[in-house]
Amino acid sequence: MSDSRTTTTAAGIHGASGPGAGAADAGGGGIRASGNNGRAGGSNRRVDPVTVSVIQGALENIATEMGHKLMRMSYSSIIRESEDFGAGLVDAGGQGLAESAQSTPLQSGPIPGYVQGMLRQLAERGEEIRPGDVIMHNDAYAGASHGPDVAFIVPAFYRGRLVGFAVTTAHHLDIGALTPGSCGIVDAIDAYAEGLQFKSIKVYESGRKIEPVWQLLRDNIRASDLVVGDMEAQIAASRIGAERFVALHERYGLETVEAAGEAAKDHAERLMRAAVAALPDGTWRATTFIDGYLDSDDPTKKNLPLVAAITVEGDEMTVDLTGTADQVPDRPINMPLVGTVDIAVWLTVRSVLLDTAVHGHIPVNSGLVRPIRIVAPRGCLANPVFPAPTIARFCPGNQLADTVMKALAQAVPEQVSAGIGNLNVIAFSGLRGETHWVHMEIFEGSYGGRHGMDGMDAVDTLYANTRNNPIEDIESHLPLRVRRYELREDVCGAGRWRGGLGSVREFEYLDDGGGSVEGEGHGYRPWGFRGGGDGQPASLVLERADGSSAGLPSKVPHTVVTAGDCFVCEGPAGGGYGDPLERDPAQVLDDVLDGYLSAGTAERDYGVVITGGDTLDRAATEAARAARRS
Amino acid sequence: MKFIGVDIGGTFTDVVFADTETGDLRIHKVPTTPDDPSLGMLHAVRELCERESIAAAEVGHLFHGTTIATNAVLTHEGARTGMITSEGYRDILHIGRHQRPQHYSIRQEIPWQDRPFVRRRRRLTVPERITPPAGEVLTPLDEEAVRRAARRLRDDGVEAIAVCFLFSWVDPAHEERAAAIVREEHPGCFVTTSAAVSPQFREFERFTTTAMNAFIGPRMRDYMNRIGDRMKEAEVSAELHVMSSNGGVATVRTVSERPVVTLLSGPAAGVLGGRWTGELSGRRKLITFDMGGTSADIGIVDDGRFAEATARDTWIAGYPVLVSMIDIHTIGAGGGSIARVDPGGGFRVGPESAGAAPGPAAYGRGGTAPTVTDANVVLGRLDRDYFLGGAMALDEAAAGAAIGRLAARLGLDEREAAEGVIAIVNANMANAISSRTVQKGVDPRDFSLVAFGGAGPLHAVEVAARIGIPEVIVPPYPGITSAVGLLTTELRYDAVKTEFQVSDRLDLARLNRDLTSVEAGIARQFQDDGVERAEVGFERSGDLRYVGQGYELRVPFPAGELGPAETRELFRRFHEQHRAEYGHVFEDSPIEIVNVRVVGVGRTPTIGAPRAARGESLAAARVRTGRGTFRAADGELADVETVFHLRDRLPVGDPIPGPAVVLQRDSTTVIPPGSTARADEAGNLIITIEGSP
Repeated sequence: MSDSRTTTTAAGIHGASGPGAGAADAGGGGIRASGNNGRAGGSNRRVDPVTVSVIQGALENIATEMGHKLMRMSYSSIIRESEDFGAGLVDAGGQGLAESAQSTPLQSGPIPGYVQGMLRQLAERGEEIRPGDVIMHNDAYAGASHGPDVAFIVPAFYRGRLVGFAVTTAHHLDIGALTPGSCGIVDAIDAYAEGLQFKSIKVYESGRKIEPVWQLLRDNIRASDLVVGDMEAQIAASRIGAERFVALHERYGLETVEAAGEAAKDHAERLMRAAVAALPDGTWRATTFIDGYLDSDDPTKKNLPLVAAITVEGDEMTVDLTGTADQVPDRPINMPLVGTVDIAVWLTVRSVLLDTAVHGHIPVNSGLVRPIRIVAPRGCLANPVFPAPTIARFCPGNQLADTVMKALAQAVPEQVSAGIGNLNVIAFSGLRGETHWVHMEIFEGSYGGRHGMDGMDAVDTLYANTRNNPIEDIESHLPLRVRRYELREDVCGAGRWRGGLGSVREFEYLDDGGGSVEGEGHGYRPWGFRGGGDGQPASLVLERADGSSAGLPSKVPHTVVTAGDCFVCEGPAGGGYGDPLERDPAQVLDDVLDGYLSAGTAERDYGVVITGGDTLDRAATEAARAARRS
Repeated sequence: MKFIGVDIGGTFTDVVFADTETGDLRIHKVPTTPDDPSLGMLHAVRELCERESIAAAEVGHLFHGTTIATNAVLTHEGARTGMITSEGYRDILHIGRHQRPQHYSIRQEIPWQDRPFVRRRRRLTVPERITPPAGEVLTPLDEEAVRRAARRLRDDGVEAIAVCFLFSWVDPAHEERAAAIVREEHPGCFVTTSAAVSPQFREFERFTTTAMNAFIGPRMRDYMNRIGDRMKEAEVSAELHVMSSNGGVATVRTVSERPVVTLLSGPAAGVLGGRWTGELSGRRKLITFDMGGTSADIGIVDDGRFAEATARDTWIAGYPVLVSMIDIHTIGAGGGSIARVDPGGGFRVGPESAGAAPGPAAYGRGGTAPTVTDANVVLGRLDRDYFLGGAMALDEAAAGAAIGRLAARLGLDEREAAEGVIAIVNANMANAISSRTVQKGVDPRDFSLVAFGGAGPLHAVEVAARIGIPEVIVPPYPGITSAVGLLTTELRYDAVKTEFQVSDRLDLARLNRDLTSVEAGIARQFQDDGVERAEVGFERSGDLRYVGQGYELRVPFPAGELGPAETRELFRRFHEQHRAEYGHVFEDSPIEIVNVRVVGVGRTPTIGAPRAARGESLAAARVRTGRGTFRAADGELADVETVFHLRDRLPVGDPIPGPAVVLQRDSTTVIPPGSTARADEAGNLIITIEGSP
């Protein structure tokens, strides 16, 4: 690129251009992600609103079928139970048309970016896309979310013409990194240490399987039976999607499908523009911090700021991440701008401004994000430079989503939640003979309080929306025992609407093995809002079979464990919303009766006096609250 | 034998009488009495008996479809419920699978957190723990702790208690002992255990189902008692059976213990009614399509068998339910579905519905939102004076005005907008059907669409044409198909046991032992109902998956002892089915038998075809002609002369070319241009679709 400034859009990376380039990147050398100029061509043929609606429904139906099949066929619990996968349809220009209703936002959202990255790389190499090709891609510097999230891209041809792509992405159990598993690789020093890099690699060419590539995968990936099986499942699902997409063209014709696709994107764009236009013009800033490596001696590796400034002008929004810490060149908590940062921003803006619970179903395609521009200086955590490692970007990215909400909260305080508790992921592994077993478990966070509603307890948060594994499945198939799985009592962000509660989960090894951890939120309390108290951070303890125990930071590289060792994970509690002294005393009593709070905490945090464990003393409560207010 | 079926819906209570000896079939419809549905039920039975001179005492069986359990869950009005669970796992019900129902929402509710069946204060834990695979006891059951918990719940006024321990599907002993202690301490209490409700792995789903069972238990028990009393008062001595979601009927005892089995009672009866309808005309491959005011239910019947939902796909009101259910796909599309233009200019239909009040604008009850019914009125597909048999005159001007406002926002003319509403809602329904057919490797072109409910026959031909279904069948009385379905059910019990065995190291002895014991359990249930084992047909099946997968496919097992040859065959079938459903097969992968299942089916009563009224000639059936608006082959909308016929005057066999409309009391059938209908001997209307668009 001739200029150090680049613009990324919903449609990919371009040379810097357009109004305002450079305006907001104080440090120079910024990347901006912007949507306006991502509009693909516009349709020549007018198509009626009925046909648009019908074709859009058909596209969503195809994407959902792909997701459904992938989830049901796949082997690894990270895909089938955690639902850490995506499925979607993309047009020939790399614009997203529809995504699967299942799946997790951080997997489906990046799909157009994967395709754009692939198109660029293939063009650079002079490779053509032909019917029968299947392309494997995981390059975090070319649209991929991070290395373990591998896309399998199947082109769709209608009457000899490339009309689009059917794509599945999925988090693979292992991708050949330095230690077992594909999370908790927190000590990778560069992109090469994270595992295999697939830069638009054809695994089928014109229908012919490229066997050496598959052999390479089998030889370099742990638990390769599972991983390769999951990859085959992805290809099968993508192929079905492409087949259906072509059938849609056969039914409606090329022009109509194209025009309807454009109209659907324009429609989604108008929805977002209307939502943005409803905000007052202005700029709102927020900063939060990530732990990074709390046990590191190096100050540039811990307590790192994430900064977001949101500017609304008319029906457009700019999210400027200038001020975010510099990238960590040799630790993998850097966040790919395209594939992680953009998704984190879009997810939050979309969930707040076009909340499904309020607005109903909103079509998800590339049009939806056109009004949102993202600015991130090159070389910061949110726009790293190759080969800075990125494999453990999950939790920082979710913190970024929270930061964006903290900024938005100032504009639309009744549509947000207070600060959100971030997540921890543990990779459990071991050997059975010469074969690895690997199991990844995502530990839940919690939401902050909301206007009129308490926070959601013990759930996956923001751009992650995975599922836990049933205890009865884990213990039936793995040398692990879940000793405890409950809500964390008497720890929560006080507020008129209190923050969500965290969980306590304990995993004991029944065999010798290993574990590694990637998480966030051990050092910082989720923010309280409008007078609400801050929440509580997460914590993690490794209790050894010999009776010793050690508190762990949120990043733990692969550690040897023996049978009887146990990870005890206490999840974070979200921030409170509003003044706790305004919480209805009856609700505080309910919380005490339900064991969420102790009577002591009720009095300390809420000024609510409960006697005998179950009786609200209204007079004493009023007095206590009055004293507190004066 | 003489039977009566009673299907109680939200608005109407339908009663059907059938005499298997004479082939007689009679129907009756009365308004539902929501405060005590048993009142309206017995009232209707009495009225029907009087009108048709049937001696109530001669009716041998009364089959009942009820929404008592469903409504209790939907409105969240149930018993004060407690739970006793394993220490360390108090909040399985609350944390769930830690997934939010919506990806993109801050202000969403989580049903199991915002509307729990058991509040945390009444979820008490006791020391106990068993472990897989063999049920080894890690922590013995602390019986004193159970006793203390039971007393505490009793003193708290709890009316129902769910006992839910981890791994109870491996060994239910701890749960059973705890339940016995609870019954000692709190004799009047409704007590249920998770292994008795559904002995399958996945604790959140099982515990939730069990808690739901407890929550609705006392209410169902009371309801059953009330019906019994009222039957006595009315001197109806028939044996009462209740429709359950699995497509069979259960006894009062079973339903009183496990009311969760009735959650999909009504829709299940609809699928059976659709099956009966199709089989009267000799069709065994059917897609049932029941479209009413707010939603449409879709079921598949292949070779006379209905598809069962997999355990992971069964939900009600946002809660998972781990019990056998017919696979019924419900979408929010009905006559009352509202069409609108969203803030981005998108054209949307549903899922919001105008319901019965105010209802569509055409009802003239103050509704102004444009609905699917209004669109049908504008297109000339509903008869103003013959809606509900003339019980309600349709307000064409109001329908036109509502659609006109929509059209103005869309920049379309009124007819285009109306046709658009129908096209969008039909496309949604076609997508729903394709998710259960095309997407599972089933070719809809081999099937007939059985259309019923008030709105099904209005839309069926266009829906069928969209996915290549060549034929639509409209039953003689589309509005009471579910009630008729009740009469075609059999006594049906199913049981399941989680097995977790892998193909390359099968313990055949254990497999056979488990199948036998599950079957014996069902046989005992029949025995308790007074049905001899010889009269019961057993069907075995298993839930299989490749080792490592998380979703199972249901594979039929042969009867009798399973040896290596039989298991090889069933693994081959699994591969085949996997390819059909997903388009892929993992040849070399070992296969895991996750659950074994047995269904026991009692004898099926056969009821005859209804005596459908029929006429002499098409000319005599013709009421009038009118303007009907349809999309022509060139894609343009055209007003074409459409003949309106009365259903009960149609002659058998004469072709009725579209465009035509067939009117009857409880539904309206649209035959678009290019399709031809014929009334057949069985009383069905068979519509052949020539060429799909």
